[in-house]
Amino acid sequence: MGLFGIFLIYGLSLLVCKVFILRIYIYRLQTNAGALTNFEVLDFLRSRGASTDPTRVIASVAQSEFQVYDYLVQSAACNQTRESINEFLRCCEKFDLAKAEKINIINIRPASQVEIDPIIEDCEKRIHNDEVEDLVNMIVEVLPSSGKTGGTDEETVEAVADQEPMEVVLPPEGKPGGTDEETKETVAGQDPIDTI
Amino acid sequence: MFFLSLIEHTLRLPPHLLNLPLDQAIKGELETLFLDKVIANLGLCVSVYDIRNIDGGFIFPGDGASTFTVNFRLIMFRPFVGEVLSGEVEESDAKGLRLSLGFFKDITLPAHLLPNPSKFGEDGKWTWDFNGTELPIEKEDEIRFKVHSIRYPPIPVEQEKDAKPFAPMVITASIDFDGLGPISWWV
Repeated sequence: MGLFGIFLIYGLSLLVCKVFILRIYIYRLQTNAGALTNFEVLDFLRSRGASTDPTRVIASVAQSEFQVYDYLVQSAACNQTRESINEFLRCCEKFDLAKAEKINIINIRPASQVEIDPIIEDCEKRIHNDEVEDLVNMIVEVLPSSGKTGGTDEETVEAVADQEPMEVVLPPEGKPGGTDEETKETVAGQDPIDTI
Repeated sequence: MFFLSLIEHTLRLPPHLLNLPLDQAIKGELETLFLDKVIANLGLCVSVYDIRNIDGGFIFPGDGASTFTVNFRLIMFRPFVGEVLSGEVEESDAKGLRLSLGFFKDITLPAHLLPNPSKFGEDGKWTWDFNGTELPIEKEDEIRFKVHSIRYPPIPVEQEKDAKPFAPMVITASIDFDGLGPISWWV
């Protein structure tokens, strides 16, 4: 009787948790085949048919993928474009940033010096104060804002001077530049943006 | 926050899917198998990105289904240690806070990783006492936090009757730094 009780509880507790551990065996060829920015994941989900309006029930996107889509849509990634990200990567070559820091900046889009402080490790030692200001100005100029944190771009701390808070979608560059990205319509099959 | 992982898996394709085109059937099977599941040390699987290679198609004796060896890439949610993420407060109690990202709700913020003179009020809210100014953490705030560590606890064999549901991937967060915590504190 006691033994039956334990099995039943184990079965019930498994039912209650939403996320299960995979117990089958898979062979991992590459644990890390490339980092993706939030924008790329959002773009991928959009190309599969995810959207915020009621036609979403017809799309071939699973419920869990929709939860990720809903999160990304209200983050800084919702207004970004491939061109603006490539432009950002080109402009931040002169600051000595690690790849993880660049991805983090693209995902969070800090608009002031205090917001960028936790993202860059050892900020004061590596980058001088005026350079941080340049970096923040460049971020606000190149990456479009999410529009959610409304007037903060205008009344932000001294670091940002007189910037336009509207989205800046830069025209595609004439030459491909240092990245091998093509602005194709379909996303599947592409390799992630080269952030080196 | 998101990574691609290249995985090879031996997939058994049940016979009732024989009427579908092969890549569609395999994609459907992979999604049923991997979507919204946690793989230890790889993270939470968000989506099947693409299928690189399909091999095989053997039918083993006594079985009606064909078996394929598939190489494919999955989008995994696996933040790196030290990454700054943005989420909301889900729960708040004396031991700390629980944050959520909408699709992932097992982010714990223990009391010792809150900025130093913080206290827990009777209304259930944590407040940071910054040089005399009281800065509370409200439930609707958007919180920026830094990932402190990620753990993949092993599956428990037994659980007590009303234990919390088992979380296969737990992220420990910290807001003990300039610029972290509710955005309203800094902007």
